[in-house]
Amino acid sequence: MAGLHHLYLTVGPARFRVASTWRQPLDQLAALYKDYPASQGGYADFTVRLEPEKPWRRYIRPSVHISGDFWLPDAAPLPLSQCLLAAEMGMNLQMALGWRRHLLLHASSVEKDGKALLMTGLSGSGKSTLSAMLAEKGWRFMGDEFALLNPDTGMVHSFPRLISLKNEAIAAMQAILPDSRFGPLLTGTPKGDIRHIIPPLDAVKRMADTAKPALLLFPRFGYDPVLRDMGKSEIFVRLTQASTNYVALGETGFQALTKFVDRVPTKAMDYQSGEQAEELIDSLWSQL
Amino acid sequence: MSQLYRTTAPEGIIQRPLDSMTLIFQKSSGITHMIADPVPAILEVMAEDSLTARDVAQRLAVSYDLEDSENAADVVLARLAELCTLGLVEQV
Repeated sequence: MAGLHHLYLTVGPARFRVASTWRQPLDQLAALYKDYPASQGGYADFTVRLEPEKPWRRYIRPSVHISGDFWLPDAAPLPLSQCLLAAEMGMNLQMALGWRRHLLLHASSVEKDGKALLMTGLSGSGKSTLSAMLAEKGWRFMGDEFALLNPDTGMVHSFPRLISLKNEAIAAMQAILPDSRFGPLLTGTPKGDIRHIIPPLDAVKRMADTAKPALLLFPRFGYDPVLRDMGKSEIFVRLTQASTNYVALGETGFQALTKFVDRVPTKAMDYQSGEQAEELIDSLWSQL
Repeated sequence: MSQLYRTTAPEGIIQRPLDSMTLIFQKSSGITHMIADPVPAILEVMAEDSLTARDVAQRLAVSYDLEDSENAADVVLARLAELCTLGLVEQV
């Protein structure tokens, strides 16, 4: 990887080497991840590569092509102004396609008293925003993208990357957090406007602490507030859809997921505001 | 109706009943199947024996109150054909 700049990052149990043609994404990552533990001995689980799509695109309308140990052949390159997003997408991609030590659930998670609340759902369900909001209200932030379920112990491991806020959620969190907690505003990305938040320091310091999954929610933003029961079959199917490595883990994944569905109370939660969601979550949490 | 069927490698599958559905994890393929009634009951009464569809229907009638016992063997035969396609049952 001659000619590339490098940065090593540790997030939860995963260690990344980010290699880039340009310094800019690495400088941005270094600033936003400054409180995360340093890599030990230059070892990494995954390498993310950010390089020009074609050699001349390093300078002329520079565009960042994301690759690494795992990559998607049809991933569209991003403009250099969105290089931070490219780096974050690259790290997500390595986890989604390559991580095998845990069952990966596409879910946000927060912890209180050693117990974890997981929230999963489609993009736009509000799982990232809710986790960011709860992290400012006495919960420990564990991750906004992936919850890592240990198949041996059933515990959830933290993966507290930067929190990725989209569109309306950006203003909502800007109202309660200082500017120093935010990364640059990225406009016109494939998912609209994106701005990252640095997780609370406590989330970073305690990222090795696991938690017992105690509640799973399927939030849905924009509907009258209500909690609904879900059948175990529906929960199971939706979690297989929410897991990027369920199939790859084979019997281990099956055992881990069936145990999880059997043991963890689950509700569908509709809500129209953060306050409503917090009320519903508090009412459920107090009954656990 | 004289065709015999048996379950393929019973030790090679893991069954987990959920609510109205049952999950079957097939170790040989790594595929998770989700099955509804009467398939779990068919697999249960077949145990490790080689049986015709009629035998299976008769065993089901002992344990379950079948709504249409006359056509039960046809229903079982259709399910056995599907289970053969999935590799959970094989013709003997």
